[in-house]
Amino acid sequence: MTALALRSLRHRIPAAVATLVAVLLGTALMASFATLVQSAGGAHDDDRELLIIMGAVVGGWGSLIVLFSVASTVGIVAEQRIGEAGLLRTIGATPRQVRALIVYEATAVTLLAAAVGAGVAVFGGRALFDAVQRGGLISTASAYGGGPAALTAAAGVVVLVSVVAAVISSRRANRGPAAFSLRQADVPDRRLPRWRALTGVVLAGSGAVAAVVTVTVTGESADPYAAMQTSGSASIVAGVGLAALAPVLLRAPARALRPLLARSGGGYLATENTTRRPHVFAAMLAPVIVLVSTAVGTLLMVGIDGRTRTAASDPEGVGDTITTINAVVIGMICLFAAIMVVNAAVAAVVHRRAELDRLWRLGATRGQLRAAVVLEAAVVAVVGIVFGLLGSTATAVPYAIVRHEGVLPDGQLWLVPAVAAVAAALAVAAAWGAHRRPDRWKTLRS
Amino acid sequence: MDEDIPALAVEALTKRHGTGAAAVDALLGVDLTLARGTFTAVMGPSGSGKSTFLACVAGLEQPTSGRVVLEGADVTQWDEARRTRMRRDRIGFVFQDFSLVPYLTAAENVALPARLAGRRADPQAVRQALARVGLADRAGHLPGALSGGQRQRAAIARALVTRPALLLADEPTGALDSTTAREVLALLRAAVDELGQTTVMVTHDPVAASRADTVVFLVDGKIAGRMAAPTADAVAAQLAHLDQLTGAAR
Repeated sequence: MTALALRSLRHRIPAAVATLVAVLLGTALMASFATLVQSAGGAHDDDRELLIIMGAVVGGWGSLIVLFSVASTVGIVAEQRIGEAGLLRTIGATPRQVRALIVYEATAVTLLAAAVGAGVAVFGGRALFDAVQRGGLISTASAYGGGPAALTAAAGVVVLVSVVAAVISSRRANRGPAAFSLRQADVPDRRLPRWRALTGVVLAGSGAVAAVVTVTVTGESADPYAAMQTSGSASIVAGVGLAALAPVLLRAPARALRPLLARSGGGYLATENTTRRPHVFAAMLAPVIVLVSTAVGTLLMVGIDGRTRTAASDPEGVGDTITTINAVVIGMICLFAAIMVVNAAVAAVVHRRAELDRLWRLGATRGQLRAAVVLEAAVVAVVGIVFGLLGSTATAVPYAIVRHEGVLPDGQLWLVPAVAAVAAALAVAAAWGAHRRPDRWKTLRS
Repeated sequence: MDEDIPALAVEALTKRHGTGAAAVDALLGVDLTLARGTFTAVMGPSGSGKSTFLACVAGLEQPTSGRVVLEGADVTQWDEARRTRMRRDRIGFVFQDFSLVPYLTAAENVALPARLAGRRADPQAVRQALARVGLADRAGHLPGALSGGQRQRAAIARALVTRPALLLADEPTGALDSTTAREVLALLRAAVDELGQTTVMVTHDPVAASRADTVVFLVDGKIAGRMAAPTADAVAAQLAHLDQLTGAAR
């Protein structure tokens, strides 16, 4: 089965690339922060706490996004194999073999990508440490101490999550009678798995709790940065939670957009598709929510902090540096989330080429198919932006209240349309680009 | 429109796949004229060019040379977009794999050609088309909730609802059991007899072919013979001796 898995991989480069990108960049990001924690071990006493906070806390938020993205990407890719799994089962592969194929494939790609990602983190971690040191947050007495322990630990966690996600998804491939999946794409009546619904509710709930705690507890604290510690992660946690619930979030809003779009052929296809097959588009929706929630929430927080900081609230005078470091770290996390938006959009569209080809045979013009793909991405982007903004309030609103700006921050509200525009542009452009890759439009038969 | 114009006229149609040493001639000069309201089966061994023929007629593929004339209009040189519109408006397609859109209900699948043409489908016509194939009570079901035979009947309803100039069926019974296959063939036959629907069906199955008015045998990219008023036995016997047909054709 291993040999078959490796051979089959060579023929599914686009799917493998999606996993590869998510795991590689995810490992690079996580392992870079992990080296900060490792460096703390040998650091000067004054610097130890900050390195641990930077590495473990800030890195931890990022890890949540990374692990969610990896799990969701591996899940999409494994799910796309279900049709092929049916074929293998009809010719005598046991359910165990089919699962093994899917898991081995994911493992092979993940190991390769995690190794490269850890290699990137060798430089990334050092660069991060240097940046923190140059910013004056830690003294020159401490030296970079990242090494194999941090790199392998981070890579190991990513690999573990990826393999577990593949195992869970592979079970789905064995559902139903074997030949069933040979028939073309059905719309399975699929509910959100209970563990996923539970994870989503718990995470979204913790985001809300963190928001309340910020206003009621840490906001009253003497330490001016206590409130930042509870509220900073709230929008990330809430965003990931909402993203886990993505399949149930899409249907109703997509239906609301129907009257707007249903007049054109392409728009009609787009609305029916997004309302009837939310699980296909949930994979695209999730990273949009995470991106918007994280970027808007944390960037507004940094902005509020910059405006409201006073000499009294910042006795150590580290505010500017914290702002800079925050911006860099948040920027990295947002960049990762943005790449995941593209990654997921491409994976979702590439897999649908056969379906688009079928519509073309039935008389949909290429213009209509292009419109359908672009409008689907637009619907997903709009819904993702709405829920992402909802998630971002978990950070922005309590922090604005704590810093006496009221419910809405006093400035930088332009971030909202700016981030929304970037997210929408990424999703739509990626879907459009994936759709117009040239190899498709030949008919299948000759 | 002038009733004397044939529904379809194919003249000296050739199609070459690939170039150079790897080139394969799928069609080597096919001539075929179909009067309106006729039911023609196209038979031949694998690789005889049946599917290429259908793809060229439907405008899915551009022929290498020759002409395809649909109701008097030469569609051969039309561009991609125009051929797509022709397929949507003037040709009904029934595929072996049903080709239903999985996220649309049976009724919405039937209404799809009109939707793609930017019209709102006439609900009355959609209901009638579904009733004609015996799916009146399954209109709101997604394809996943239909049996194979029901899916193919929904596909036939979709192909007929636009009252196309030409109905093309590519192995329509290939994925069905014999009982369901019989039902599907009866529906195609009824469309010809009751609606005057010009129909071309590519098939491997002598029983299916026997429901047609004429069987055309395609061998090595050329028409090797014809049989009017076919029976399943006669078609099967002819298929077993296609080499004689090719000998006669030479």
